[in-house]
Amino acid sequence: MSTYGTPGAGPVVYDPVTLPADDNVNGYTFCVELRDGQWFLQKGKMIAYYGAIEFNGIGHGRLDRLVRTSFHSPLHASDWVVAAGSGKMLLADRAFDVNSYDLDDGNLTIRAGNLLAFQPSLALKQSIVPGFLTLIGTGKFVAASNGPVVFMEPPIRVDPQALVGWADCPSPCHHYDHGYMAGVLGGLRAMTGLGGASGEEHQFEFVGAGTVLLQSTETLMDEVATGSVPPEPGVPGGGGTAPGGHGPQSSGAPRLPGQLGDLQRRFGL
Amino acid sequence: MFRLQGSKVLAVDMTGDAVKAKNGSMVAYDGQMTFKKLSGGGEGLRGMVTRRLTGEQMTVMEVKGHGTCWFADRASEINLVRLQGDKLYVEAGNLLATDAGLRTGTTFTGLRGASQGNGLFTTTVEGHGQAAIVSDGPAVVLRVSPQYPLIVDPGAYVAHQGDVRQTFQSGVTFRTLVGEGGGEAFQIRFEGDGLVYVQPSERNTIAGDV
Repeated sequence: MSTYGTPGAGPVVYDPVTLPADDNVNGYTFCVELRDGQWFLQKGKMIAYYGAIEFNGIGHGRLDRLVRTSFHSPLHASDWVVAAGSGKMLLADRAFDVNSYDLDDGNLTIRAGNLLAFQPSLALKQSIVPGFLTLIGTGKFVAASNGPVVFMEPPIRVDPQALVGWADCPSPCHHYDHGYMAGVLGGLRAMTGLGGASGEEHQFEFVGAGTVLLQSTETLMDEVATGSVPPEPGVPGGGGTAPGGHGPQSSGAPRLPGQLGDLQRRFGL
Repeated sequence: MFRLQGSKVLAVDMTGDAVKAKNGSMVAYDGQMTFKKLSGGGEGLRGMVTRRLTGEQMTVMEVKGHGTCWFADRASEINLVRLQGDKLYVEAGNLLATDAGLRTGTTFTGLRGASQGNGLFTTTVEGHGQAAIVSDGPAVVLRVSPQYPLIVDPGAYVAHQGDVRQTFQSGVTFRTLVGEGGGEAFQIRFEGDGLVYVQPSERNTIAGDV
């Protein structure tokens, strides 16, 4: 065996035997055990592996059947790869907190940039909320968050930037504080920030039974926009090209705050 | 004597001995300390020229005195490494402090450096004593043994020690070129007997996009 033993008070040394199987190594690193199996993971999130594991893009011919059953998001296809083989693989994302979640015949919707990896027994679908992905089925998935994740029960209103995802509750909607919309002064205040805008006039609201996942910071994690949904009428976010990514609010063409349309609405015209 | 205070501050207790540390990384000290900049990392004229030529530059200070000195670097996580006659390979930017008794130098790493965008050379530390390396997020220490070779993403590699051979493997195919690559086109394979330090974050590398 190795002569480089664990130094007395030093760090823990891992090898393929001592690495956990499908569990966290520490708060920031997750270990996946593959036994002749497959996992979907976001491109570039693998940091190291033992064993024989092969990484192939979603478009790889041999993965056709797998993709047909568990991957339904052409928008993100170029972000995802399939790891196949046997061994132990470490996943991490820019030193963010990493956690795994088990779904048991359930559904969970999560911000696209936060999802790191999932088992093929789950099916990935694009949520109709732009910038979010929905996982359906039974299995394990790994998600990153900026700071630890907090679980909340609806009814709840949350800050748009702190939202990571939600499970089993079907009605996320926007909520605007009344003062934000009422009157000329309110409109001016919200637009310019003069005269006391709190920065919390806009929230997402959840009602019904389920769980809402929040991260403990309002700094969003970067995500890569790789396309847009088809420009059909009635498809949220499908209003043609959305060059600035598909954040929660950037549906359709980008518009400046205080464009004529907004003002008219605020003035009640 | 190196010890960690929290995970982001290194405390060194000194009784007249010295440590080498990254220039400007001292955050506090008590007792009597002198700080002296070491040109060329205390490796002499030859070392200085080598570092200049290889681009593996490192500005180092020597701290000497009685008392305790605390070091930190941009709130990065600190990992302690104990060396018993073996060699530690680390990027110059990730090396925070070493015992003064340890020798530092530069060595050729081959193609791995090129894919990371941080040069073809790396810093070595050898001798008996302790060293402190920094990483973005707490490093995971992985053992490489003859029956278990390890493959690491170049962007997440921090350091390694022991008798380890590294080979650079590339999986670039025509699929990579048309944007359908596996996302892990460049990898370093470690074989032999030793330890590899991996951070839970990837530096921006030219390999990061393929």
